[in-house]
Amino acid sequence: MIATIARHESTRLLRSGQTWIMAALLAALFGFLFLKQLEAFIDVQAQLAAQDHPVGLTGFLSVRYLEPLALAFTLVAPLFAMRTFSDEFRHNTYALWQSSPVSATALVIGKFAGVLLIMSLLVLLAVSLLICMQLFVRVDFPLIGSATLGLLLCTSACTACGVFFSSLTRQSLIAIVASLALLLFSWVLGSASFSAAPLQFLADLSIANHLRGFFQGYIHTGDIAFFVIITLLFLGLSVIRLDSLRQSGH
Amino acid sequence: MAVPDPITNGSSTPLLTASALSRRLSSDAAVTDISLTLDRGDVVGLLGLNGAGKSTTLRLLCGVLVPDQGSVTINGFSMADSPLQARQQVGYLPDEPPLYNDMRVHEYLTLAGRIRGLRGNALVQRRETVTEQCLLQSVDKKLIGTLSKGFRQRVGLAQALIHEPAVLLLDEPSNGLDPQQLDSMRKLIIDTGSSSAVILSTHLLSEARATCNRVAIIHAGRLVADRPAEGTDLELVFHGATT
Repeated sequence: MIATIARHESTRLLRSGQTWIMAALLAALFGFLFLKQLEAFIDVQAQLAAQDHPVGLTGFLSVRYLEPLALAFTLVAPLFAMRTFSDEFRHNTYALWQSSPVSATALVIGKFAGVLLIMSLLVLLAVSLLICMQLFVRVDFPLIGSATLGLLLCTSACTACGVFFSSLTRQSLIAIVASLALLLFSWVLGSASFSAAPLQFLADLSIANHLRGFFQGYIHTGDIAFFVIITLLFLGLSVIRLDSLRQSGH
Repeated sequence: MAVPDPITNGSSTPLLTASALSRRLSSDAAVTDISLTLDRGDVVGLLGLNGAGKSTTLRLLCGVLVPDQGSVTINGFSMADSPLQARQQVGYLPDEPPLYNDMRVHEYLTLAGRIRGLRGNALVQRRETVTEQCLLQSVDKKLIGTLSKGFRQRVGLAQALIHEPAVLLLDEPSNGLDPQQLDSMRKLIIDTGSSSAVILSTHLLSEARATCNRVAIIHAGRLVADRPAEGTDLELVFHGATT
């Protein structure tokens, strides 16, 4: 059942012109940023080589190309997820799911998986530019794997956030503004410094802080757990929201 | 048009049992103390004025809405205890069909069948059957968004029928149909009623009389009459109950 719902959701996204426009803009961004950082690496290559522990091409591009893209995926994931439920409410198609033998959990997971599938393809497209460098130089595959895992986990959490806000309203625009506000706030938490002890926990809620290690090749279970918990939290809240709709009758 | 008599299926379990259903929406009581029992062969017209509580009753019966009080059992499955199994037994057409405008008719029916558990040949076979039953062959490959209201209503009916539900719930199914489409829709409902139980909501006494073998009159959220559709005094009963 989840596979059927996921397939339906990803097919709907692929049918939408908006999806292709966003994918094209992202692809252009990937290309631009990749070439810009590649040139930057060539410019500083001699200086890097003089260091005790020189950073290689993969390490350089991981931090300078893939890490900024995490912010782009954070912004784009809610755009892809915004229609999951709000469109169903607005076009009265939600009655099809409500009257079918489909649990709220299966519906939420299915829709989330459908959006995440498309987002994952975009992540792989971004990473593939780096992998293509293997044709010319030796690339550090474990580091690429670590960065890809970070991007996928971040995308997963942001998609779940978008799905949740989409389940709250009939208006896609409200869903996207609310989810972007929350996600950007989480990024800002990472750049702010919290010197006072009581506020230090805010830094722990930052997406950026939990992502950094992945792009340097350090995978901490705590960082993985952070993204998994965020994802599960928003999916759980979405299930509760859908159940409450059956109770409230809206 | 001949309306079939109720057929008993030899089983003691009714296909649908609603006991003392009550539900408040916002601060108003939408329906109060609704009880209904349907056996195989029952085609019941849920008759009432606009705002009487017909749609809310159907939403309670199909599990879209949870009652404040009372219970619904579909083909032996309790909507409260086994909601998925109970909903598997129901086909529901809301007043506005739940259609995806960017899907083609056959794609939509495939999706409707899949989420009701149909797979492989069984799905293809049922899709072809309902396409034929609902006279959708000419628009099978068309985008739903380009269809007329009559065709959209029939696509909505086809999704409700695709899994051969034990209970079919139709909310104002004749909305937007021309006389010819109305006639074929009535025939289809009567045919379906011979093997399952059907409730259709309407505010037209003529429609209930033409399609149903039983009429339940609802007024101000209460069931005020439940009687056979034939009989010359039905009009009097309806007007008496709703004034």
